[in-house]
Amino acid sequence: MTPAEPVAAVPSPTDAALIAAWQGGDERAAAELVRRHARALARFLAGAGAPEADLDDVVQETFIRAFRAVGTFRGQCRFRTWLLTIGGNVLKDAHRRAKRARVVPLEDELRSTEGDPHEHAVAGEAEGRLRDGLRALPRLQREVFLLRAQQGLEYEEIAAALGTTPGAARVHYHHAVKRLKEHMK
Amino acid sequence: MKEDGTLHDAMLQDAARRLGAGAAERLDVERTAQAVVARLREERQAPRQRWARLPASWLRIAAALVLLAGAGLVARALRGPGGAPPVEAIDLGDLSSDQLRELLDAVDEPGAQEPVSAQDVGLEDLTPQQLRTLLASLEA
Repeated sequence: MTPAEPVAAVPSPTDAALIAAWQGGDERAAAELVRRHARALARFLAGAGAPEADLDDVVQETFIRAFRAVGTFRGQCRFRTWLLTIGGNVLKDAHRRAKRARVVPLEDELRSTEGDPHEHAVAGEAEGRLRDGLRALPRLQREVFLLRAQQGLEYEEIAAALGTTPGAARVHYHHAVKRLKEHMK
Repeated sequence: MKEDGTLHDAMLQDAARRLGAGAAERLDVERTAQAVVARLREERQAPRQRWARLPASWLRIAAALVLLAGAGLVARALRGPGGAPPVEAIDLGDLSSDQLRELLDAVDEPGAQEPVSAQDVGLEDLTPQQLRTLLASLEA
């Protein structure tokens, strides 16, 4: 009996390869990109104020917009970072529509405590206060803070995604931290 | 992430890392992936219906641009030594949403891509292809 040959690890395709495959009509590539980035996107959106009940819809809409516009993605930042900035736009539009519709006042919606009671129990006071503090921040500060503190991105990457300079991103982050600390005192 | 000396508050950093984690975990990623792919497939199979996604206000603006460009093209074609001909105004307010979509679909035919000249660029100078690009950017 011959010894089993070691199985060579098959490298997973890069995002760029999946994007190219999708542009060539491969739906599996699109699905793989969603699987790869959906949770990070959901975390970002939830942190930015998306109600959990709407999270799936906002995630889907973000991917749809991203795939529609993927021809404009030039690799200036990572695909995931680009996706998160699109998510920020989708969320902003959703809030604007909610305000216009006046079905549920935005502030009330954002303060909603719906969701899994267990999560609320374990999330802790700090997380809840951070969530409240983030809602009070200007959008750019909130997104820069989340991209850095939650997603762990460097200023260069954040700046490339938001079309600003690393220095400006750093300033936004510092302002956000200062205000959040004051809020959490 | 590098410690940059600005986020001393470990509690803040920990909370930021946890933020949204529970909600993200509960997301059914496979279902989301299938839903996204289904919507993309729908869009690919029915690209002509994309105007249907535009709200009526955007449709009206888009149609106004189309008419403006069309009027400009007609005026230019008819313009002779005798001076500019009158162009009949069309009131978009009289058109229904369906009629506006039909109007937009009418110019949404494949055509040759023409370069945009940097000089003398006005709406009336846009080709249908250039106009489609403009409308697509409005749609995004």
